[in-house]
Amino acid sequence: MFVLVVGGGKVGYYLTRELIENGHEVVLMEKDRARADQIADEIGSVVMPHDGCEGKYLADAGANRADIVAAVTGDDEDNLVICQMARHHFDVGRTIARVNNPKNERLFKHLGVDEIISPTRMILGSIEQDIPVHELLHLAALGEGELELIEAHLQAGSPAVGRATKDLDIPEGCSLFALIRAGVAAPLRPDTVLREGDKVIAIGKTECEALLHGQLIGEAEAVDAG
Amino acid sequence: MPEQHRPAFTRALVALNGAPSDAVIVRLVAELARPARAELIGVHVVEINWTLPLDADIAGSSDDAQRILDLAEGVAERQRQPLETVLLQARDVGAAIVDEATERAADLVVVGLPFRKRFGGDFAMGRTIPYVLKNAPCAVWVVRDPMPQEAS
Repeated sequence: MFVLVVGGGKVGYYLTRELIENGHEVVLMEKDRARADQIADEIGSVVMPHDGCEGKYLADAGANRADIVAAVTGDDEDNLVICQMARHHFDVGRTIARVNNPKNERLFKHLGVDEIISPTRMILGSIEQDIPVHELLHLAALGEGELELIEAHLQAGSPAVGRATKDLDIPEGCSLFALIRAGVAAPLRPDTVLREGDKVIAIGKTECEALLHGQLIGEAEAVDAG
Repeated sequence: MPEQHRPAFTRALVALNGAPSDAVIVRLVAELARPARAELIGVHVVEINWTLPLDADIAGSSDDAQRILDLAEGVAERQRQPLETVLLQARDVGAAIVDEATERAADLVVVGLPFRKRFGGDFAMGRTIPYVLKNAPCAVWVVRDPMPQEAS
């Protein structure tokens, strides 16, 4: 597989190295000449010291035959431009973008980036999993970004505690499908009675989040009072 | 063998770039190789840009590449010195020369530094020679063209 990586920071460097070790053909574009030379010294002549935001250089790097373009610079705008050019101008089969600001995720999806990787979102998710929070946790964006995989940690005061899932008023477009109880995962059935400490995994449209929050976590005022 | 009787090299890799200096370099190295019974390997590298896969059929069907190797072989033959020719295609000439020298366990790499008439005339080092100087595992000889009369 031929992979074009744009951005020679830590992510791009290690990504390129791993891909080479796994037997893939890789070219890395890094606009900073000194950094490009440094990487070339370490991993060989697979580095092009040019700006991947410029179509001419993307063409020189072989975007026309790339199976994947991965834009992993530290700049969301650059990553978006690179993926859009790769997709629409060079007809690349799969584009992957690093998104630094989670607020840009939806825009990237909307503009046709196939896959977005948000380190900020991942770290945030990891932190939130380890501390009890009175919010829904976003585990992943699915589909074209219109669906979210969500976790709700039921605590005292949650309107769902003591009730069966079939009795909850789950908004249309949402589905509760898994339960994690005492560290054990199980499918969530309509007659499962929820308990304090349960973690409920749901999938649903992003616009349903507020209603889902009300059913599983409780209204914001009630939680604050608790 | 005492140090003073040891040949300067036993297996030399001569980088051929198609410049007129190729003949000069091959003749020079062949003259030195013959008494020492050293091996000579002439390498020409065709650089493949990233728009093409590395295994694209470029070098094999290139008349220019074949001519470069034939010319070097002819010069060596006139010196009664066998020269093995190798045609490579790679993303980077310098890296290919170093890799080949390493793989063949060459103890000498010889590269030419031609005089370029463009831009007022200069010895353009380019990327290849610095790369080979920096990365070759063995000795490297850079054979510079003589200074043209009008430029000196």
